[in-house]
Amino acid sequence: MNTLPEPDEITKHYEMPRDAWEKALTSLLGTYTLYAPVKRWDSIDYELISSENSSKIVYNLPKPVSPLKLFLLPVKENVVLDSDLQKPFVVLGTPACDLWALDLLDQFYLHSDYIDPYYKLRRDKMILVGTDCHTSLAHCHCSSYGLNPFPEKNQDLVISIIDGKVILEINSLKGETFIEKLAAESKLQPSENGFPDDLLKIRQAVKSEMDSRNKRLPNYQETTSVVKNAGEDTWKNHSKTCVACGACATICPTCTCFLLIDRPGFEKVRQMDACQYPGFQRVAGGEDPHKQHFVRFSNRYFCKYVFRPEKFDALACTGCGRCIEACIGKINKNEIFNELTK
Amino acid sequence: MTVSTNIYKPFRARLEKVIEESPLIKTLVLVPETEFSFKTGEFIELTLDGIGEAPFTPSSSPFVKDRIEVTIMKAGYVTGLMHELPVGAVLGVRGPFGRGYPIETFFGKEVLILGGGCGLAPIRSLLYTLIEYKDKLKKVILAYGSKTPRDCIYKPLFSYLNSIDKFEAHRSVDIADENWKETVGVATVMLDKVKVDIPNAVAVVCGPPVMMKFGTFKLLEMGFAPKDIFLSMEKNMSCGLGKCGHCMMGEYFVCKDGPVFTYEEVKNQPHIW
Ligand SMILES: Cc1cc2nc3c(=O)[nH]c(=O)nc-3n(C[C@H](O)[C@H](O)[C@H](O)COP(=O)(O)OP(=O)(O)OC[C@H]3O[C@@H](n4cnc5c(N)ncnc54)[C@H](O)[C@@H]3O)c2cc1C
Ligand code: SF4
Ligand code: SF4
Ligand code: FES
Repeated sequence: MNTLPEPDEITKHYEMPRDAWEKALTSLLGTYTLYAPVKRWDSIDYELISSENSSKIVYNLPKPVSPLKLFLLPVKENVVLDSDLQKPFVVLGTPACDLWALDLLDQFYLHSDYIDPYYKLRRDKMILVGTDCHTSLAHCHCSSYGLNPFPEKNQDLVISIIDGKVILEINSLKGETFIEKLAAESKLQPSENGFPDDLLKIRQAVKSEMDSRNKRLPNYQETTSVVKNAGEDTWKNHSKTCVACGACATICPTCTCFLLIDRPGFEKVRQMDACQYPGFQRVAGGEDPHKQHFVRFSNRYFCKYVFRPEKFDALACTGCGRCIEACIGKINKNEIFNELTK
Repeated sequence: MTVSTNIYKPFRARLEKVIEESPLIKTLVLVPETEFSFKTGEFIELTLDGIGEAPFTPSSSPFVKDRIEVTIMKAGYVTGLMHELPVGAVLGVRGPFGRGYPIETFFGKEVLILGGGCGLAPIRSLLYTLIEYKDKLKKVILAYGSKTPRDCIYKPLFSYLNSIDKFEAHRSVDIADENWKETVGVATVMLDKVKVDIPNAVAVVCGPPVMMKFGTFKLLEMGFAPKDIFLSMEKNMSCGLGKCGHCMMGEYFVCKDGPVFTYEEVKNQPHIW
């Protein structure tokens, strides 16, 4: 079990009543474009926030249906024309799992050999207000992979609301600038109080809850060998209900694959793609090392737990559980791992 | 965002000439509108405007700077349309990409090259490079196989190579006709005939996947060490930059970590052929 950071590592934070926060936030809508999670049916997802819906923002709930990557890698984007993105944008309410996923995305798209200029532009313009998860969902398992259910990396600020009181932590220069603008609107002062005890208690409780629910689940390193050692039959068996829809990859915060599509005028459109689709590895003449469905199915597991970890210094699965929730074939990777380690 | 910093934006190149190499293979001679240079074994992404893009390894000499020659086998949709291009057409080029042949490590050694089909395209560029460095090499042997005599490409190249000191070139066809006087059989049969000082030699294989596979096994059987066998891997590619994932071969992105690998590097990766 990993330990929670000591409270004294956390330096500056702000506290304010929720209505003051909401007022200040809407006053910044001219300066920033704001996206935040709003409840839709029985789930939550990011929406563009205006003064109309700002009171509908939900806080501290896991987890927006859309992974954070969609703000950086739209499903389809023309990557030859100049981008019209001007205004900085704030993404509020991102949980820890998606923030960790940025490590892998950055290593891909900002690799110094070839920087993706469109990803970089968005990344530079993005201000991330991460959120603590004050509860966890059935398939959340970030803690099994050594993560905590609260932002620890890549966020500019962290928000929590406890008993109508907003607690904001500042974690970066971008966060500082944002809070300065906010403070100008709302006469905000850094809190003199120590880091709120209640919040620490919640953090511990959510983590314990998740740990106990996923007790049997192998950790990341163990999963690597579980995947390596699983035989062909495992993949054949578990892929029986897979219809290769690619939802698991589309919804995954760390899946990076795409296809370039040509448009007249030597334009290109970068469209998100997935190794689960037939033909992903097809070469001329029809040869395809991934021709068999079970091989494509297993590739996602190998990619996440074997290939990416060998090559990148980042988790390729953050335990967000979205692929389990999204699967229409009811395939649950955690059940597979539990079974394989029985 | 400027053009030069956009990794996805091709630069333009004009089709100056089309050379018919065989019924299925043509060489396009391109004049790039931007300064362009590459190392042998590196590849480019060639765009047919609004239609599609495909990876090719230039078949010309990297020492020639004002032209890029690309030898293209008609294999499907994009390559089929590339075969129809009229002189003067404008194509898009991105690259060069990838890791080519580590020529310096061949110095002082014999180089045995096994090629098949359109695999001779990158090999021709390699041969031009090796000719430039021939003083530093012991010997260069080319064994090239094709289906029928009609499918043999770069016909003048063979007599040219055989006229160069330290170079020898052999050809085989799977199915011969009455005029064929050279080897008959799959490309690997030529390996039984050549004299190579294996401990002081490297081998290069480039061709269709089956040939790569059996060629590699044959070389291993002959005593080549896995680290001395250089393979040029063909995978599905989209970006060419190590981002899109299409060319994944285990932990490697063939476009960036390759396309040239030693067998040692890839032998434990899944689904390499
Ligand atoms: C590094 C490298 C160097 C190469 N060098 C050369 C060279 O010098 N000369 C040469 O002739 N060839 C070379 N090739 C091979 C060449 O790139 C292919 O022949 C070419 O991409 C075929 O394109 P095509 O559209 O004509 O073929 P197709 O068979 O029509 O299509 C091939 C591509 O389109 C995709 N595709 C087509 N239809 C579908 C579908 N229905 N569903 C999903 N995907 C589809 C395939 O996945 C594949 O990416 C090289 C390849 C690589 C990787
Ligand atoms: S593999 Fe599944 S659980 Fe892991 S990060 Fe992707 S969507 Fe989340
Ligand atoms: S190869 Fe598959 S699992 Fe890996 S990033 Fe691409 S789509 Fe996701
Ligand atoms: S071709 Fe895109 S990663 Fe290799």
